Amino acid sequence: MTGRLASTAQATPAQAPVLEVKDLHHSYDGKREALQGVSFTIRRGEVFGLLGKNGAGKSTLIKVMTTLLRPTQGSLRVLGMDPARDGQRIRRRIGVVQQGESFDFTTVQGNLDIYGILWGIPKEERERRRDALIQRFGLEDLRKRRSFDLSGGQKRRVQVAREFMHDMDILFLDEPTVGLDVIMRRSLLDSIRGEVSRGLTVVFTTHNLEEADYLCDRIAVIDGGKILVLDSLENLKRLYGGKRTMEITLGAGDAPGYFQALKTRLGPTDSLTVEDRSGILLTDEPKHALSLLVELSQKQAIQIEWLNIRKNTLEDVFLHSVEPGGQTHADP
Amino acid sequence: MPIPNLLRLIYRNTRVNTDPGSLIILLGLPALYLVFFGFGFQSLAGAAAGGKSYLAYLTPGIMAFQAVMAGTVGGSMLWADRRYGMLAQLLVGPFTRLQYLLGIMFTSVLFGLGGAVVMLALASLLVGAGTVTLIGAGVMLGTIALGSIFFGSLMLLVSALVKSNNAYNSIQILVIFVVNFASTVFYPLSSGLPLAIQVLFHLNPLTYVADAVRGAYFSQLTPTEGWQVLVLAGETVVVLYLAIRAYMRSDVSME
Repeated sequence: MTGRLASTAQATPAQAPVLEVKDLHHSYDGKREALQGVSFTIRRGEVFGLLGKNGAGKSTLIKVMTTLLRPTQGSLRVLGMDPARDGQRIRRRIGVVQQGESFDFTTVQGNLDIYGILWGIPKEERERRRDALIQRFGLEDLRKRRSFDLSGGQKRRVQVAREFMHDMDILFLDEPTVGLDVIMRRSLLDSIRGEVSRGLTVVFTTHNLEEADYLCDRIAVIDGGKILVLDSLENLKRLYGGKRTMEITLGAGDAPGYFQALKTRLGPTDSLTVEDRSGILLTDEPKHALSLLVELSQKQAIQIEWLNIRKNTLEDVFLHSVEPGGQTHADP
Repeated sequence: MPIPNLLRLIYRNTRVNTDPGSLIILLGLPALYLVFFGFGFQSLAGAAAGGKSYLAYLTPGIMAFQAVMAGTVGGSMLWADRRYGMLAQLLVGPFTRLQYLLGIMFTSVLFGLGGAVVMLALASLLVGAGTVTLIGAGVMLGTIALGSIFFGSLMLLVSALVKSNNAYNSIQILVIFVVNFASTVFYPLSSGLPLAIQVLFHLNPLTYVADAVRGAYFSQLTPTEGWQVLVLAGETVVVLYLAIRAYMRSDVSME
């Protein structure tokens, strides 16, 4: 299954960018700006994660990169080609698992088979791949079932399995693990890792930070059509991993006044998110912050009802990035 | 030798749309018209059918009707592919939008011609084999193919513009009903009909398809059918243009 994959992948030299995105904009109907100046490059064999809330612009970005939508501004090169001129050539070398369902009205086996035919895979090879994928994705019992009769997770498995019927250089996965159980999710991520080790480049959108942590080499946090954080997982952990997250809940008293006073005394790299009587403080000086919290509590005569201090996680990076006024850090 | 994209799309469209349920609608409905109307109105319609048996009169009409059925299948293909995500999936694959559209058009023509041949075979069992000339067969097939493109384009236009499932189904049923019964498929155009209905008959492209197929079936082609086919070709170009325009501008999915 990987023979042609390797041969097509070799057409793009190792470490050469397979995706170059520069100041990319896209607006729907000229009004709603879904992408606002996105820039990054992705190298061959890399797993690139796009994290973001619903409506952040992840799927629009995937649609633009897979030639389904045209950028309204900026430049894009996929495998060294311009999608405006070479859309069909690009599409022959990419695979896309879209966020929504996409099936033909036939059985699981029929869907894989038809997909292989559409991609021009010769009969013997097609049948071999189909059977191997049915086995690999645990679809043996569902083989003769109609795709529309399957559960959400089963459908997702078929959709991902089907994409491996053809060879590709870049695989775009738009939230591929939604609805999958833990075992199937891990199995899918391992399958993708296996393909990556053979030269496949993967662009992957997800809400699930554990998945991103498990699979991605680099991560971009996107919100409001802009990239807020972009770096390797190692760098992100180094940058933010030393920080601590302090979660605080106040008792009766002037909570807004307390948090206002706290904000004015925080260091330049600290950040505070407040909701009602609770706050989340991200700091790299937890001792100083702790004494500050206690001092202000005494000064403002307000009790700290609950306080939790923990190591920073990728989830914190994500949450603080997408909060208004949150941190930005981009290294495209 | 690699199979061209268009042929792969036609294969996929044919395979996906020939499940038993689709075939019952595509072939079963016209076949039931032929059998029940053919035998049922035999005694009533003898005179109106110009001395021919009504079943024989109805046969070319039902063959022409296959163009409408094929058109609705074409429209439904685009509708279902947009609704169930396959259009977007195919368009991030190795196909262009135009290839996808041509795939639907050619599949519609195949369905129209295939259905007409099945109706002809069924009629041969019921009324005996007729003698269709080679030119007559060519006119029949060509007109039904043209009619399939016309009605395929019309339904593609509808499916590109309409966003609700209920609206699409209602329009489809309305089109089938009006086009079918305001044409010469079941009965000839008579001066006894109300003027408005006569005008509707003349405006209805299925009348041209039915008249040409009937003329060819009974080896009674006249210049009138020739003009009708020319008008049909002109109408087809216009509707096809509108369908392509609407389709190219439409969203690929209904998210």
